[in-house]
Amino acid sequence: MKLELGIIPISDIQFGPESKVENGTIYVNAEELKALILEDEALQSVELDIARPGESVRIMPVKDVIEPRVKVSGEGAMFPGVISKVATVGSGRTNVLRGSAVVTTGKIVGFQEGIIDMTGEGAKYTPFSQLNNLVVVCEPVDGLAKHAHEKAVRLAGLKTADYIGKLAKNIEAEEIETYETVSVKEGLQRWPDLPRVAYVLMLQSQGLLHDTYVYGVDAKQSLTTVIMPTEIMDGAILSGNCVSACDKNTTYHHLNNPVIKDLFAQHGKTLNFVGVIITNENVYLADKMRSSDWTAKLCDWLGLDGAIVSQEGFGNPDTDLIMNCKKIEAKGVKTVIITDEYAGRDGASQSLADADAAATAVVTGGNANEVIHLPKLDKVIGYPEVADIIAGGFDGSLQADGSIIAELQVITGATNEMGFNTLSAR
Amino acid sequence: MVVCLIYKIYTILIEAGVPESIYGVSNMYLIVTNNQLCLGKYGAQIKMEYLEEGSYLDVLLKVRDYLHLGWKLETHPMTGSLKPNQTPYKSIMISNNPLDQEEFYSQEITISNGIAACRKFQSIRKTPDWPEHLLEDFRIVDLSLIEGAIQRIL
Repeated sequence: MKLELGIIPISDIQFGPESKVENGTIYVNAEELKALILEDEALQSVELDIARPGESVRIMPVKDVIEPRVKVSGEGAMFPGVISKVATVGSGRTNVLRGSAVVTTGKIVGFQEGIIDMTGEGAKYTPFSQLNNLVVVCEPVDGLAKHAHEKAVRLAGLKTADYIGKLAKNIEAEEIETYETVSVKEGLQRWPDLPRVAYVLMLQSQGLLHDTYVYGVDAKQSLTTVIMPTEIMDGAILSGNCVSACDKNTTYHHLNNPVIKDLFAQHGKTLNFVGVIITNENVYLADKMRSSDWTAKLCDWLGLDGAIVSQEGFGNPDTDLIMNCKKIEAKGVKTVIITDEYAGRDGASQSLADADAAATAVVTGGNANEVIHLPKLDKVIGYPEVADIIAGGFDGSLQADGSIIAELQVITGATNEMGFNTLSAR
Repeated sequence: MVVCLIYKIYTILIEAGVPESIYGVSNMYLIVTNNQLCLGKYGAQIKMEYLEEGSYLDVLLKVRDYLHLGWKLETHPMTGSLKPNQTPYKSIMISNNPLDQEEFYSQEITISNGIAACRKFQSIRKTPDWPEHLLEDFRIVDLSLIEGAIQRIL
Protein backbone atom coordinates (compact mmCIF):
# COMPACT_ATOMS: atom_id res chain seq x y z
CA MET A 1 0.00 0.00 0.00
CA LYS A 2 1.51 3.31 -1.14
CA LEU A 3 0.45 6.82 -0.20
CA GLU A 4 1.75 10.16 -1.35
CA LEU A 5 1.25 13.13 0.93
CA GLY A 6 1.06 16.39 -1.00
CA ILE A 7 2.28 19.07 1.39
CA ILE A 8 0.68 22.51 1.06
CA PRO A 9 2.31 24.91 3.55
CA ILE A 10 -0.15 27.19 5.35
CA SER A 11 1.02 30.45 6.91
CA ASP A 12 -2.31 32.07 7.86
CA ILE A 13 -6.07 31.58 8.31
CA GLN A 14 -8.52 34.43 7.75
CA PHE A 15 -12.27 34.84 7.60
CA GLY A 16 -13.55 36.02 4.20
CA PRO A 17 -16.55 36.01 1.85
CA GLU A 18 -15.40 32.88 0.05
CA SER A 19 -13.87 29.74 1.51
CA LYS A 20 -10.66 28.94 -0.38
CA VAL A 21 -6.96 28.23 -0.05
CA GLU A 22 -4.77 30.75 -1.82
CA ASN A 23 -1.05 31.56 -1.55
CA GLY A 24 -0.65 29.68 1.70
CA THR A 25 -3.68 31.26 3.37
CA ILE A 26 -6.92 29.48 4.28
CA TYR A 27 -9.93 31.80 3.86
CA VAL A 28 -13.08 30.70 5.67
CA ASN A 29 -16.64 31.85 5.07
CA ALA A 30 -17.65 31.59 8.70
CA GLU A 31 -21.41 31.64 8.11
CA GLU A 32 -21.27 28.85 5.55
CA LEU A 33 -19.15 26.67 7.84
CA LYS A 34 -21.32 27.39 10.89
CA ALA A 35 -24.42 26.37 8.93
CA LEU A 36 -22.75 23.07 8.06
CA ILE A 37 -21.79 22.38 11.69
CA LEU A 38 -25.24 23.35 12.95
CA GLU A 39 -26.89 20.73 10.75
CA ASP A 40 -26.28 18.60 13.84
CA GLU A 41 -29.41 19.07 15.95
CA ALA A 42 -27.45 18.35 19.12
CA LEU A 43 -25.76 21.73 18.81
CA GLN A 44 -27.46 24.98 19.71
CA SER A 45 -24.73 27.36 18.56
CA VAL A 46 -21.19 27.42 17.32
CA GLU A 47 -18.53 30.11 17.28
CA LEU A 48 -15.41 30.17 15.13
CA ASP A 49 -12.18 31.93 16.02
CA ILE A 50 -8.59 31.97 14.83
CA ALA A 51 -5.44 31.59 16.91
CA ARG A 52 -2.08 32.20 15.25
CA PRO A 53 1.45 31.47 16.50
CA GLY A 54 2.77 34.22 18.75
CA GLU A 55 -0.63 35.78 19.53
CA SER A 56 -1.53 36.40 23.16
CA VAL A 57 -4.25 33.75 23.06
CA ARG A 58 -5.12 30.78 25.26
CA ILE A 59 -7.45 28.04 23.93
CA MET A 60 -9.25 25.97 26.59
CA PRO A 61 -10.54 23.40 27.27
CA VAL A 62 -9.25 21.66 24.14
CA LYS A 63 -11.07 18.52 23.04
CA ASP A 64 -9.36 17.54 19.80
CA VAL A 65 -6.87 18.90 17.28
CA ILE A 66 -7.25 17.81 13.65
CA GLU A 67 -5.08 18.51 10.61
CA PRO A 68 -7.15 19.32 7.48
CA ARG A 69 -6.46 16.83 4.70
CA VAL A 70 -8.21 15.70 1.53
CA LYS A 71 -7.99 12.62 -0.66
CA VAL A 72 -6.89 13.64 -4.15
CA SER A 73 -6.75 10.12 -5.54
CA GLY A 74 -7.04 6.55 -4.31
CA GLU A 75 -9.85 4.69 -2.64
CA GLY A 76 -12.08 6.31 -0.04
CA ALA A 77 -12.10 9.73 1.59
CA MET A 78 -10.87 11.27 4.84
CA PHE A 79 -12.13 9.92 8.19
CA PRO A 80 -13.70 6.74 6.77
CA GLY A 81 -16.59 5.21 8.68
CA VAL A 82 -17.37 8.52 10.38
CA ILE A 83 -17.34 11.43 7.91
CA SER A 84 -17.02 9.43 4.68
CA LYS A 85 -18.35 5.96 3.88
CA VAL A 86 -16.37 2.89 4.90
CA ALA A 87 -13.63 2.19 2.34
CA THR A 88 -10.00 1.20 2.76
CA VAL A 89 -7.93 4.38 2.72
CA GLY A 90 -4.15 4.71 2.72
CA SER A 91 -3.29 4.63 -0.97
CA GLY A 92 -3.14 7.20 -3.78
CA ARG A 93 -2.53 10.82 -2.88
CA THR A 94 -3.69 12.97 0.02
CA ASN A 95 -3.19 16.73 0.24
CA VAL A 96 -2.16 18.06 3.65
CA LEU A 97 -2.64 21.65 4.83
CA ARG A 98 0.59 21.64 6.83
CA GLY A 99 0.86 24.38 9.42
CA SER A 100 -2.86 24.50 10.13
CA ALA A 101 -5.27 22.72 12.46
CA VAL A 102 -8.87 22.65 13.55
CA VAL A 103 -9.16 22.80 17.35
CA THR A 104 -12.42 21.92 19.08
CA THR A 105 -13.40 23.17 22.48
CA GLY A 106 -16.52 22.42 24.44
CA LYS A 107 -17.48 22.12 28.08
CA ILE A 108 -18.70 18.54 28.00
CA VAL A 109 -17.91 18.11 31.67
CA GLY A 110 -17.06 20.91 34.05
CA PHE A 111 -13.66 19.81 35.22
CA GLN A 112 -11.77 19.62 31.99
CA GLU A 113 -8.24 20.73 31.39
CA GLY A 114 -6.50 21.01 28.03
CA ILE A 115 -4.69 24.28 27.32
CA ILE A 116 -3.02 25.52 24.16
CA ASP A 117 -1.16 28.82 24.72
CA MET A 118 -0.07 30.52 21.51
CA THR A 119 2.71 32.48 23.23
CA GLY A 120 4.74 32.53 26.43
CA GLU A 121 5.94 29.70 28.62
CA GLY A 122 2.99 27.39 27.90
CA ALA A 123 3.53 27.64 24.13
CA LYS A 124 6.90 25.92 24.50
CA TYR A 125 5.23 22.76 25.73
CA THR A 126 2.56 22.24 23.09
CA PRO A 127 3.36 21.64 19.41
CA PHE A 128 0.00 23.17 18.51
CA SER A 129 1.20 26.67 19.45
CA GLN A 130 3.17 26.58 16.19
CA LEU A 131 0.07 26.09 14.02
CA ASN A 132 -2.55 28.40 12.58
CA ASN A 133 -5.60 27.16 14.44
CA LEU A 134 -9.23 27.46 13.45
CA VAL A 135 -11.03 27.05 16.76
CA VAL A 136 -14.56 25.65 16.90
CA VAL A 137 -16.45 26.49 20.09
CA CYS A 138 -19.57 24.33 20.39
CA GLU A 139 -22.59 24.89 22.61
CA PRO A 140 -25.06 22.00 22.93
CA VAL A 141 -28.85 22.14 23.10
CA ASP A 142 -30.23 22.17 26.63
CA GLY A 143 -30.29 18.87 28.46
CA LEU A 144 -28.05 17.00 26.03
CA ALA A 145 -26.55 13.86 27.60
CA LYS A 146 -22.76 13.81 28.05
CA HIS A 147 -22.22 11.01 25.51
CA ALA A 148 -24.23 12.85 22.85
CA HIS A 149 -22.47 16.12 23.66
CA GLU A 150 -19.03 14.50 23.28
CA LYS A 151 -20.07 13.00 19.95
CA ALA A 152 -21.45 16.30 18.65
CA VAL A 153 -18.22 18.16 19.46
CA ARG A 154 -16.13 15.36 17.95
CA LEU A 155 -18.15 15.39 14.72
CA ALA A 156 -18.09 19.19 14.52
CA GLY A 157 -14.28 19.08 14.51
CA LEU A 158 -14.10 16.36 11.89
CA LYS A 159 -16.68 18.05 9.64
CA THR A 160 -14.73 21.31 9.88
CA ALA A 161 -11.42 19.62 9.05
CA ASP A 162 -13.09 17.84 6.13
CA TYR A 163 -14.61 21.13 4.90
CA ILE A 164 -11.24 22.95 5.09
CA GLY A 165 -9.34 20.01 3.62
CA LYS A 166 -11.61 19.84 0.57
CA LEU A 167 -10.68 23.45 -0.29
CA ALA A 168 -7.23 22.11 -1.17
CA LYS A 169 -8.26 19.23 -3.39
CA ASN A 170 -7.10 20.86 -6.63
CA ILE A 171 -4.10 22.74 -5.29
CA GLU A 172 -0.70 21.64 -6.45
CA ALA A 173 1.43 20.48 -3.55
CA GLU A 174 4.76 22.13 -2.87
CA GLU A 175 6.37 18.89 -1.79
CA ILE A 176 5.50 15.21 -2.05
CA GLU A 177 6.27 12.69 0.70
CA THR A 178 5.93 9.02 -0.25
CA TYR A 179 5.21 6.16 2.17
CA GLU A 180 4.87 2.53 1.21
CA THR A 181 4.23 -0.71 3.04
CA VAL A 182 4.89 -3.86 1.04
CA SER A 183 3.49 -7.36 1.61
CA VAL A 184 5.13 -9.62 4.18
CA LYS A 185 6.46 -11.81 1.36
CA GLU A 186 7.95 -8.91 -0.62
CA GLY A 187 9.51 -7.42 2.51
CA LEU A 188 11.30 -10.68 3.27
CA GLN A 189 12.59 -10.88 -0.30
CA ARG A 190 13.76 -7.27 -0.56
CA TRP A 191 15.38 -6.87 2.84
CA PRO A 192 16.35 -10.38 4.00
CA ASP A 193 19.09 -9.04 6.29
CA LEU A 194 17.31 -6.13 7.90
CA PRO A 195 15.59 -6.49 11.30
CA ARG A 196 11.83 -6.71 11.02
CA VAL A 197 10.19 -4.07 13.20
CA ALA A 198 6.52 -3.28 13.87
CA TYR A 199 4.83 -0.55 15.82
CA VAL A 200 2.29 -1.51 18.49
CA LEU A 201 -0.09 1.43 18.87
CA MET A 202 -2.20 1.26 22.03
CA LEU A 203 -5.53 3.08 21.78
CA GLN A 204 -7.43 4.59 24.70
CA SER A 205 -10.73 2.70 25.00
CA GLN A 206 -12.34 2.90 28.43
CA GLY A 207 -15.62 4.79 28.16
CA LEU A 208 -17.03 8.31 28.14
CA LEU A 209 -14.31 10.82 27.17
CA HIS A 210 -11.81 7.95 26.96
CA ASP A 211 -12.50 6.42 23.52
CA THR A 212 -10.89 5.98 20.11
CA TYR A 213 -12.51 5.01 16.81
CA VAL A 214 -11.04 2.87 14.03
CA TYR A 215 -12.97 3.18 10.75
CA GLY A 216 -15.83 4.26 12.99
CA VAL A 217 -15.61 1.24 15.31
CA ASP A 218 -15.27 1.89 19.04
CA ALA A 219 -11.81 0.43 19.80
CA LYS A 220 -13.00 -1.19 23.03
CA GLN A 221 -15.26 -3.47 20.99
CA SER A 222 -12.41 -4.72 18.82
CA LEU A 223 -9.70 -7.33 19.15
CA THR A 224 -6.08 -6.47 18.46
CA THR A 225 -5.50 -6.21 14.73
CA VAL A 226 -3.14 -5.06 11.98
CA ILE A 227 -3.48 -1.76 10.11
CA MET A 228 -1.31 -0.18 7.44
CA PRO A 229 0.50 2.97 8.60
CA THR A 230 -0.80 4.95 5.61
CA GLU A 231 -4.40 4.16 6.55
CA ILE A 232 -3.74 6.05 9.79
CA MET A 233 -2.42 9.03 7.76
CA ASP A 234 -5.80 9.14 5.98
CA GLY A 235 -7.79 9.37 9.20
CA ALA A 236 -8.66 5.73 9.88
CA ILE A 237 -8.04 6.33 13.61
CA LEU A 238 -9.91 9.17 15.30
CA SER A 239 -9.67 10.45 18.84
CA GLY A 240 -12.63 10.62 21.19
CA ASN A 241 -10.31 10.95 24.15
CA CYS A 242 -10.77 14.15 26.11
CA VAL A 243 -9.11 13.34 29.44
CA SER A 244 -5.49 13.77 30.57
CA ALA A 245 -4.57 16.57 28.17
CA CYS A 246 -0.82 16.12 28.30
CA ASP A 247 -0.76 12.47 27.23
CA LYS A 248 -3.87 11.95 25.14
CA ASN A 249 -3.41 11.32 21.44
CA THR A 250 -5.44 13.83 19.45
CA THR A 251 -6.50 13.05 15.89
CA TYR A 252 -3.61 15.32 14.79
CA HIS A 253 -1.20 12.98 16.60
CA HIS A 254 -2.66 9.95 14.84
CA LEU A 255 -2.42 11.64 11.41
CA ASN A 256 1.18 12.71 12.10
CA ASN A 257 2.32 9.80 14.29
CA PRO A 258 6.06 10.44 14.81
CA VAL A 259 6.85 6.77 15.50
CA ILE A 260 5.45 5.87 12.08
CA LYS A 261 7.31 8.76 10.45
CA ASP A 262 10.65 7.78 12.01
CA LEU A 263 10.18 4.08 11.21
CA PHE A 264 9.47 4.98 7.58
CA ALA A 265 12.63 7.15 7.56
CA GLN A 266 14.66 4.05 8.44
CA HIS A 267 12.59 1.65 6.31
CA GLY A 268 14.79 -0.28 3.87
CA LYS A 269 17.94 1.27 5.36
CA THR A 270 18.47 0.05 8.91
CA LEU A 271 15.21 -1.89 9.37
CA ASN A 272 12.17 -3.31 7.64
CA PHE A 273 9.06 -1.50 8.94
CA VAL A 274 6.53 -4.31 8.70
CA GLY A 275 3.38 -2.47 9.80
CA VAL A 276 1.26 -1.34 12.71
CA ILE A 277 -0.56 -3.47 15.27
CA ILE A 278 -3.39 -1.64 17.04
CA THR A 279 -4.58 -2.79 20.43
CA ASN A 280 -6.91 -1.37 23.08
CA GLU A 281 -6.79 -0.32 26.73
CA ASN A 282 -10.00 -1.64 28.26
CA VAL A 283 -11.04 -1.55 31.92
CA TYR A 284 -11.95 -5.23 32.17
CA LEU A 285 -8.90 -7.26 33.18
CA ALA A 286 -9.90 -10.21 30.99
CA ASP A 287 -9.86 -7.82 28.01
CA LYS A 288 -6.36 -6.69 28.93
CA MET A 289 -5.21 -10.32 29.04
CA ARG A 290 -6.91 -11.12 25.73
CA SER A 291 -5.66 -8.04 23.89
CA SER A 292 -2.05 -8.41 25.07
CA ASP A 293 -2.12 -12.13 24.20
CA TRP A 294 -3.21 -11.21 20.67
CA THR A 295 -0.59 -8.45 20.40
CA ALA A 296 2.21 -10.89 21.28
CA LYS A 297 0.74 -13.52 18.97
CA LEU A 298 0.68 -11.10 16.01
CA CYS A 299 4.27 -9.95 16.74
CA ASP A 300 5.35 -13.59 16.73
CA TRP A 301 3.37 -14.42 13.59
CA LEU A 302 4.85 -11.46 11.70
CA GLY A 303 8.31 -12.84 12.49
CA LEU A 304 9.43 -9.63 14.15
CA ASP A 305 12.86 -8.89 15.54
CA GLY A 306 11.73 -5.73 17.28
CA ALA A 307 8.60 -3.88 18.38
CA ILE A 308 7.99 -0.33 19.54
CA VAL A 309 4.97 0.06 21.84
CA SER A 310 3.32 3.39 22.65
CA GLN A 311 0.61 3.84 25.25
CA GLU A 312 -2.04 6.50 25.77
CA GLY A 313 -3.23 8.04 29.00
CA PHE A 314 -2.65 7.70 32.71
CA GLY A 315 -3.08 4.86 35.21
CA ASN A 316 -4.39 1.49 34.07
CA PRO A 317 -2.89 1.72 30.53
CA ASP A 318 0.43 1.25 32.34
CA THR A 319 -0.78 -2.30 33.01
CA ASP A 320 -1.63 -2.87 29.32
CA LEU A 321 1.77 -1.44 28.39
CA ILE A 322 3.65 -3.76 30.73
CA MET A 323 1.51 -6.79 29.75
CA ASN A 324 2.28 -6.07 26.07
CA CYS A 325 5.99 -5.59 26.74
CA LYS A 326 6.30 -8.72 28.87
CA LYS A 327 4.43 -10.96 26.43
CA ILE A 328 6.15 -9.62 23.29
CA GLU A 329 9.57 -10.00 24.93
CA ALA A 330 8.62 -13.56 25.92
CA LYS A 331 8.18 -14.30 22.20
CA GLY A 332 11.84 -13.33 21.68
CA VAL A 333 11.03 -9.92 20.16
CA LYS A 334 13.08 -6.97 21.46
CA THR A 335 10.66 -4.37 22.75
CA VAL A 336 10.91 -0.63 23.39
CA ILE A 337 8.07 1.10 25.23
CA ILE A 338 7.11 4.77 25.07
CA THR A 339 5.27 6.31 28.00
CA ASP A 340 5.27 9.43 30.18
CA GLU A 341 5.70 9.85 33.91
CA TYR A 342 3.81 10.99 36.97
CA ALA A 343 6.88 11.03 39.16
CA GLY A 344 5.84 13.74 41.61
CA ARG A 345 6.78 17.40 41.40
CA ASP A 346 10.41 16.62 42.23
CA GLY A 347 10.50 13.68 39.80
CA ALA A 348 11.60 11.33 42.58
CA SER A 349 8.56 9.03 42.87
CA GLN A 350 7.81 5.86 40.94
CA SER A 351 6.83 6.97 37.44
CA LEU A 352 4.39 4.28 36.33
CA ALA A 353 1.59 2.35 38.01
CA ASP A 354 3.10 -0.93 36.81
CA ALA A 355 6.53 -2.34 36.01
CA ASP A 356 8.34 -5.52 34.97
CA ALA A 357 11.92 -6.68 34.55
CA ALA A 358 11.22 -7.27 30.84
CA ALA A 359 10.81 -3.51 30.33
CA THR A 360 14.49 -2.83 29.73
CA ALA A 361 14.11 -0.11 27.10
CA VAL A 362 11.84 2.80 27.96
CA VAL A 363 11.43 6.18 26.30
CA THR A 364 9.65 8.87 28.32
CA GLY A 365 7.64 11.85 27.11
CA GLY A 366 8.38 13.73 30.33
CA ASN A 367 7.11 14.20 33.88
CA ALA A 368 3.50 15.43 33.87
CA ASN A 369 3.75 16.55 37.52
CA GLU A 370 6.41 19.12 36.67
CA VAL A 371 5.28 22.62 37.61
CA ILE A 372 5.16 25.48 35.11
CA HIS A 373 4.11 29.13 35.29
CA LEU A 374 1.65 30.30 32.63
CA PRO A 375 1.43 34.09 32.13
CA LYS A 376 -1.86 35.95 31.90
CA LEU A 377 -2.78 36.19 28.21
CA ASP A 378 -4.93 38.86 26.54
CA LYS A 379 -7.60 36.58 25.14
CA VAL A 380 -9.14 33.21 25.96
CA ILE A 381 -10.96 31.25 23.26
CA GLY A 382 -13.37 28.67 24.64
CA TYR A 383 -14.49 28.74 28.24
CA PRO A 384 -12.48 31.11 30.45
CA GLU A 385 -14.27 29.91 33.60
CA VAL A 386 -12.44 26.61 33.22
CA ALA A 387 -9.28 28.53 34.14
CA ASP A 388 -10.69 29.00 37.62
CA ILE A 389 -11.36 25.28 37.94
CA ILE A 390 -7.85 24.43 36.83
CA ALA A 391 -6.37 27.26 38.85
CA GLY A 392 -8.39 26.55 41.96
CA GLY A 393 -8.47 22.86 41.37
CA PHE A 394 -6.26 19.89 41.86
CA ASP A 395 -3.38 20.87 39.65
CA GLY A 396 -2.80 24.58 39.75
CA SER A 397 -3.21 27.85 41.53
CA LEU A 398 -4.25 31.28 40.35
CA GLN A 399 -1.82 34.10 41.13
CA ALA A 400 -2.73 37.72 41.96
CA ASP A 401 -1.44 38.92 38.57
CA GLY A 402 -3.76 36.51 36.73
CA SER A 403 -1.03 34.04 35.87
CA ILE A 404 -1.43 30.36 36.64
CA ILE A 405 0.98 27.99 38.32
CA ALA A 406 0.04 24.53 37.11
CA GLU A 407 1.37 21.08 36.46
CA LEU A 408 2.44 20.23 32.94
CA GLN A 409 -0.48 17.81 32.72
CA VAL A 410 -2.89 20.66 31.86
CA ILE A 411 -1.11 21.44 28.56
CA THR A 412 -2.41 19.62 25.47
CA GLY A 413 0.25 17.28 24.12
CA ALA A 414 2.97 18.28 26.62
CA THR A 415 4.10 14.75 27.53
CA ASN A 416 2.69 12.93 24.51
CA GLU A 417 3.42 9.22 24.60
CA MET A 418 4.12 8.95 20.87
CA GLY A 419 6.98 11.39 21.45
CA PHE A 420 5.26 14.24 19.57
CA ASN A 421 6.66 16.87 21.90
CA THR A 422 9.82 18.80 22.56
CA LEU A 423 10.71 17.80 26.13
CA SER A 424 14.18 16.37 26.37
CA ALA A 425 16.88 15.73 28.94
CA ARG A 426 19.45 16.97 26.45
CA MET B 1 -31.37 -28.67 62.70
CA VAL B 2 -28.59 -29.58 60.22
CA VAL B 3 -30.00 -27.16 57.62
CA CYS B 4 -30.07 -24.39 60.22
CA LEU B 5 -26.46 -25.08 61.13
CA ILE B 6 -25.29 -24.98 57.49
CA TYR B 7 -27.22 -21.76 56.93
CA LYS B 8 -25.59 -20.24 60.00
CA ILE B 9 -22.12 -21.21 58.76
CA TYR B 10 -22.90 -19.67 55.32
CA THR B 11 -24.05 -16.46 56.98
CA ILE B 12 -20.89 -16.23 59.05
CA LEU B 13 -18.70 -16.85 55.97
CA ILE B 14 -20.55 -14.24 53.89
CA GLU B 15 -20.34 -11.68 56.68
CA ALA B 16 -16.62 -12.38 57.02
CA GLY B 17 -16.22 -11.63 53.31
CA VAL B 18 -15.05 -15.11 52.35
CA PRO B 19 -15.89 -15.67 48.66
CA GLU B 20 -18.74 -18.08 48.06
CA SER B 21 -16.71 -20.11 45.53
CA ILE B 22 -14.78 -21.48 48.45
CA TYR B 23 -17.91 -23.03 49.96
CA GLY B 24 -19.73 -23.89 46.79
CA VAL B 25 -21.72 -20.93 45.42
CA SER B 26 -20.09 -19.92 42.15
CA ASN B 27 -19.86 -16.92 39.88
CA MET B 28 -20.73 -13.98 42.04
CA TYR B 29 -19.76 -10.44 41.15
CA LEU B 30 -19.49 -7.54 43.56
CA ILE B 31 -18.91 -3.86 42.87
CA VAL B 32 -17.20 -1.77 45.50
CA THR B 33 -18.12 1.85 44.86
CA ASN B 34 -18.57 5.26 46.42
CA ASN B 35 -20.55 6.46 43.40
CA GLN B 36 -24.28 6.72 44.07
CA LEU B 37 -25.04 6.78 40.32
CA CYS B 38 -23.52 3.32 39.99
CA LEU B 39 -25.53 2.08 42.96
CA GLY B 40 -28.72 3.65 41.65
CA LYS B 41 -28.42 2.30 38.12
CA TYR B 42 -27.11 -1.22 38.78
CA GLY B 43 -27.68 -1.85 42.51
CA ALA B 44 -30.74 -3.99 41.81
CA GLN B 45 -28.90 -6.20 39.31
CA ILE B 46 -25.46 -6.63 40.84
CA LYS B 47 -24.36 -6.98 44.43
CA MET B 48 -22.80 -3.71 45.60
CA GLU B 49 -20.78 -2.60 48.55
CA TYR B 50 -21.58 1.08 48.66
CA LEU B 51 -19.19 3.24 50.68
CA GLU B 52 -21.43 6.24 51.16
CA GLU B 53 -18.90 8.49 52.83
CA GLY B 54 -15.89 6.69 51.40
CA SER B 55 -13.10 8.27 49.39
CA TYR B 56 -11.35 6.99 46.26
CA LEU B 57 -8.64 5.59 48.57
CA ASP B 58 -11.25 3.92 50.83
CA VAL B 59 -12.59 2.02 47.79
CA LEU B 60 -9.08 0.82 46.91
CA LEU B 61 -8.41 -0.27 50.50
CA LYS B 62 -11.72 -2.13 50.71
CA VAL B 63 -10.94 -3.95 47.47
CA ARG B 64 -7.48 -4.84 48.76
CA ASP B 65 -9.11 -6.36 51.84
CA TYR B 66 -11.40 -8.43 49.63
CA LEU B 67 -8.41 -9.66 47.61
CA HIS B 68 -6.79 -10.81 50.83
CA LEU B 69 -9.91 -12.87 51.53
CA GLY B 70 -9.60 -14.63 48.16
CA TRP B 71 -11.67 -12.39 45.90
CA LYS B 72 -10.53 -11.57 42.39
CA LEU B 73 -10.14 -8.22 40.62
CA GLU B 74 -12.31 -8.03 37.50
CA THR B 75 -11.64 -4.40 36.57
CA HIS B 76 -8.44 -2.44 36.94
CA PRO B 77 -8.39 -0.28 40.09
CA MET B 78 -6.95 2.71 38.17
CA THR B 79 -9.63 2.92 35.48
CA GLY B 80 -9.82 6.18 33.56
CA SER B 81 -7.24 8.87 33.02
CA LEU B 82 -8.66 11.08 35.76
CA LYS B 83 -6.07 11.45 38.49
CA PRO B 84 -6.68 10.04 42.01
CA ASN B 85 -6.60 13.58 43.42
CA GLN B 86 -8.96 14.84 40.69
CA THR B 87 -12.00 12.55 40.76
CA PRO B 88 -13.46 11.59 44.14
CA TYR B 89 -15.24 8.54 42.71
CA LYS B 90 -14.17 4.99 42.04
CA SER B 91 -16.05 1.82 41.19
CA ILE B 92 -14.24 -1.52 41.02
CA MET B 93 -15.67 -4.93 40.14
CA ILE B 94 -14.44 -8.05 41.92
CA SER B 95 -15.68 -11.64 41.81
CA ASN B 96 -15.40 -14.99 43.51
CA ASN B 97 -14.03 -16.57 40.34
CA PRO B 98 -11.10 -18.88 41.06
CA LEU B 99 -7.65 -17.32 41.24
CA ASP B 100 -4.35 -19.19 41.11
CA GLN B 101 -1.32 -18.19 43.15
CA GLU B 102 0.43 -16.32 40.32
CA GLU B 103 -2.72 -14.33 39.56
CA PHE B 104 -3.13 -13.52 43.23
CA TYR B 105 0.41 -12.12 43.44
CA SER B 106 -0.10 -10.16 40.24
CA GLN B 107 -3.41 -8.71 41.49
CA GLU B 108 -1.90 -7.94 44.87
CA ILE B 109 0.77 -5.87 43.09
CA THR B 110 -1.85 -4.15 40.92
CA ILE B 111 -3.96 -3.02 43.88
CA SER B 112 -0.88 -2.06 45.92
CA ASN B 113 0.42 0.06 43.03
CA GLY B 114 -2.99 1.71 42.80
CA ILE B 115 -2.99 2.52 46.51
CA ALA B 116 0.57 3.86 46.29
CA ALA B 117 -0.29 6.02 43.27
CA CYS B 118 -3.39 7.36 45.04
CA ARG B 119 -1.39 8.26 48.16
CA LYS B 120 1.29 9.92 46.00
CA PHE B 121 -1.23 12.15 44.23
CA GLN B 122 -2.96 12.97 47.53
CA SER B 123 0.39 13.99 49.00
CA ILE B 124 1.01 16.35 46.04
CA ARG B 125 -2.41 17.90 46.45
CA LYS B 126 -5.63 16.77 48.11
CA THR B 127 -8.77 16.26 46.02
CA PRO B 128 -10.53 19.67 45.98
CA ASP B 129 -13.89 20.21 47.58
CA TRP B 130 -15.65 20.28 44.20
CA PRO B 131 -19.06 21.98 43.74
CA GLU B 132 -22.03 19.67 43.14
CA HIS B 133 -22.23 20.13 39.34
CA LEU B 134 -18.61 18.99 39.01
CA LEU B 135 -19.19 16.06 41.36
CA GLU B 136 -22.07 14.98 39.13
CA ASP B 137 -19.78 15.07 36.08
CA PHE B 138 -17.20 12.93 37.88
CA ARG B 139 -19.94 10.44 38.84
CA ILE B 140 -21.10 10.20 35.21
CA VAL B 141 -17.57 9.49 33.94
CA ASP B 142 -16.92 6.90 36.66
CA LEU B 143 -20.22 5.18 35.83
CA SER B 144 -19.31 5.08 32.14
CA LEU B 145 -15.94 3.47 32.91
CA ILE B 146 -17.44 0.64 35.02
CA GLU B 147 -20.41 0.17 32.66
CA GLY B 148 -18.12 -1.35 30.03
CA ALA B 149 -17.41 -4.18 32.47
CA ILE B 150 -20.94 -4.45 33.85
CA GLN B 151 -22.32 -5.03 30.38
CA ARG B 152 -20.04 -8.07 30.08
CA ILE B 153 -21.65 -9.88 32.99
CA LEU B 154 -25.32 -8.91 32.76
